[in-house]
Amino acid sequence: MNIFNLLLAGVGGQGILLAAEVLGTAALSEGLNVRVSEIHGAAQRGGAVVSNIRIGERALAPTITEGTADMILGLEPLETLRNLKFASDKTLVIMSSEIIIPTGVYLKASEVPIPTLETILEKIRLFTGNVITVKASDLARKAGNILTRNIVLIGISAATGKLPMKTETLKRVIEELVPARYLEVNLKAFELGYDYVKSMR
Amino acid sequence: MPPNPEKLLEDHAGKQVLLLGNEAIARGVIEAGISVVTTYPGTPASEIGDTISRLAAKAEIYMEYSVNEKVAVEVAAGAAVCGIRALTAMKHVGLNVAADAVMTLAYIGVRGGYVIVTAGDPECYSSQNEQDNRLYALLSNLPCLEPSNPQECKDMVKYAVQISEKLELPVLLRTVTRVNHTRGPVVYGSIEKPRLEGEFLRDVRRFVAVPHHARPMHVRLLQKVEMAKEISENSPYNRVVYRASDSRIGIISSSAAYNYAVEAADFLGLDASFLKIGMSHPFPEKKVTEFLKEHEKVIVVEELEPYLEMQVKALALDYVPEVKIYGKMRKQYFPRASEFSTRIVAEGLAKITGIQLPIDFNKIDERFNEVSQILMRRPPVLCAGCPHRASFYVLKKATKSKALFPTDIGCYALGIAPPLSVGDLLICMGASVGTAGGVSRATGVDTVAIIGDSTFFHAGIPALVNAVYNNHKFTLAVVDNLTTAMTGHQPHPGIGKTGTGELGKRVLIEKVAQGCGVQFVKVVNPFNVEESIKMVKEALEIPGPSVIVFRAPCALLLVREKRRKGERLEPCKISEACTNCMACIKVLGCPALIVREGTVIIDETLCTGCSLCAQICPYQAIELPEKGGNK
Repeated sequence: MNIFNLLLAGVGGQGILLAAEVLGTAALSEGLNVRVSEIHGAAQRGGAVVSNIRIGERALAPTITEGTADMILGLEPLETLRNLKFASDKTLVIMSSEIIIPTGVYLKASEVPIPTLETILEKIRLFTGNVITVKASDLARKAGNILTRNIVLIGISAATGKLPMKTETLKRVIEELVPARYLEVNLKAFELGYDYVKSMR
Repeated sequence: MPPNPEKLLEDHAGKQVLLLGNEAIARGVIEAGISVVTTYPGTPASEIGDTISRLAAKAEIYMEYSVNEKVAVEVAAGAAVCGIRALTAMKHVGLNVAADAVMTLAYIGVRGGYVIVTAGDPECYSSQNEQDNRLYALLSNLPCLEPSNPQECKDMVKYAVQISEKLELPVLLRTVTRVNHTRGPVVYGSIEKPRLEGEFLRDVRRFVAVPHHARPMHVRLLQKVEMAKEISENSPYNRVVYRASDSRIGIISSSAAYNYAVEAADFLGLDASFLKIGMSHPFPEKKVTEFLKEHEKVIVVEELEPYLEMQVKALALDYVPEVKIYGKMRKQYFPRASEFSTRIVAEGLAKITGIQLPIDFNKIDERFNEVSQILMRRPPVLCAGCPHRASFYVLKKATKSKALFPTDIGCYALGIAPPLSVGDLLICMGASVGTAGGVSRATGVDTVAIIGDSTFFHAGIPALVNAVYNNHKFTLAVVDNLTTAMTGHQPHPGIGKTGTGELGKRVLIEKVAQGCGVQFVKVVNPFNVEESIKMVKEALEIPGPSVIVFRAPCALLLVREKRRKGERLEPCKISEACTNCMACIKVLGCPALIVREGTVIIDETLCTGCSLCAQICPYQAIELPEKGGNK
């Protein structure tokens, strides 16, 4: 029962659903069984969004079991935090470091204070020490469009060598799924993410 | 939505692709030679109609977004009695609306295969309740199929058409969110060419359900149920998928729950036999009885109501009293509310079998509690530039927040969140209008019912006629953003475009209201704040029902349209006059207004330049874009 469990977390509008489709399609095109789950509706309305990608012959359930995620791709720190119960000490967390504050926070004086990135990292380390942080929007902007943050993170995940799919396959699927006029910036975003990990070594 | 939905039209049997459950159902429509598809959009079923709408012309399918689910069933039933294959898709609560038609259509039957997809929503991800529509199968006597994954979604559409034509009965295809919205591999089958022209064979005894005909129709339906039982007993979808090495434990499961059950057994190392139920009505009694006889303990794993369990227990009582059955009826090994997960099922199985869980979930929970203390909620909010925000601001201002606001189903239900906090009572589609009459009579308090454009057409009109006829005193605010926004921007009668993009006749909400006999009917752009406030005050003075249509396009559509044209949306700007009083944020709660290091700023990637914040800023510190905004 070797199943690779990947959880994508972020805020509506960050491109979680496209990222999930890229990863799922790449897995299938390498002949792997896959399940990708999504929740629609909140996706464009600034709500919390999660997608689960499960790869392996015995993967039937659409969602990951607590404590069994192999990888968490967090497009936003608070949303990464919200899904930590799926992590174990073996989980690799790849996280964009820019906090997006929920609108509701400004309305109530009594609301819990907005945690700093350092506090968030501390909490993540309660679960796992394997964390890669990145200012994804810097790299996305460098690629030519801030909306390619999702692809930056996929580039990083590919470079870690932990995904069950080949890097070439991921690139080919991006070519297949991304509309032609956005393709160049997306491939660039992938490269920048990929090189980011290489430069860390 | 696949970037290229045409991949669903490829006549390439054996090809494997990654499809969303709903896309797989659309592919099933193509393969099964279905030529009429009707729907009313509703999550988690929406992508079925949306996908077909983009393929309809090429696939020679007549597709329509009907005004509501009842009409959708009626249009499709009309075609199906003429020998055409048809499918209607809706969310679970849509079947409540369609139930009147469905219950008697079961008596009359069909000639062309007819599939009714009803998509349930355990966990209420995007619904007002989590009712279990399998119970409709018992109520209506219609056959019911329950797919567990995208492959079965596709295959079961074809299978449903076969059964439907054999029995001359509509067939229910009951899904849940985690089936509709899961992507998985699907192997294509061959495509059958659809029959495009039907014929109506007059037969009043069969097609006209007057009492004299209905009595024998009921008897005939019960005979069909007996035939359907045989189909269910021999169905390839009701089968023992795995036999354990011994006879101690058997598991019966269906739908999404089956996936969790298999993985939970793997997780626990539990060697149990599995009977998977794909056709759950009529219940395969012989097959289940056999399975009960073969095992000492039988565990029923199903989400929501104990629908399978009731039937399993009834069989056990008659035929296998010695078998022990575990589920959720007396002792609750599994919850009856909310959706399942592998963990929930594993915990139930562990309790029943005494096997130790390999992961200490309580420890994870404890550790996570420490984390969640610093977490704030992030619920979905009205988008930046959403015209509903302007309408709600206007309504609060005009009524000094003292009115009662029965509201309805759609994005605008998000108005209940602070700071707008508009919305006091919400039941179902159209209920804002009906309940407003009762609320205003009971309290004498100013009452403003809030309903969306698509919802108005769906179920608001009869209640409005009722309000005129019985002279209920309230104002109906139709928040008309010119689309069915919540479910993915489908068209509706107020737009004048059909589901397949052709020009249709536009039905104007204000004309409908006038035609219903409402004396005070006005249309206003809610971004004209002052004018709108005046209008609401005026409407509340009317001694009977009044209607105001707040009309401005959905911000998401506006942004998409501009992007398509390659134009930039000019954002508003904050000037030096800003005192950081936060009034804009505290009054409007727009996600484009944010605070960075104590200073209010506008997120230029989100702001649409709608002008609302500029109109309410006490210091006139927000400047409109040069062209005067995008309201």
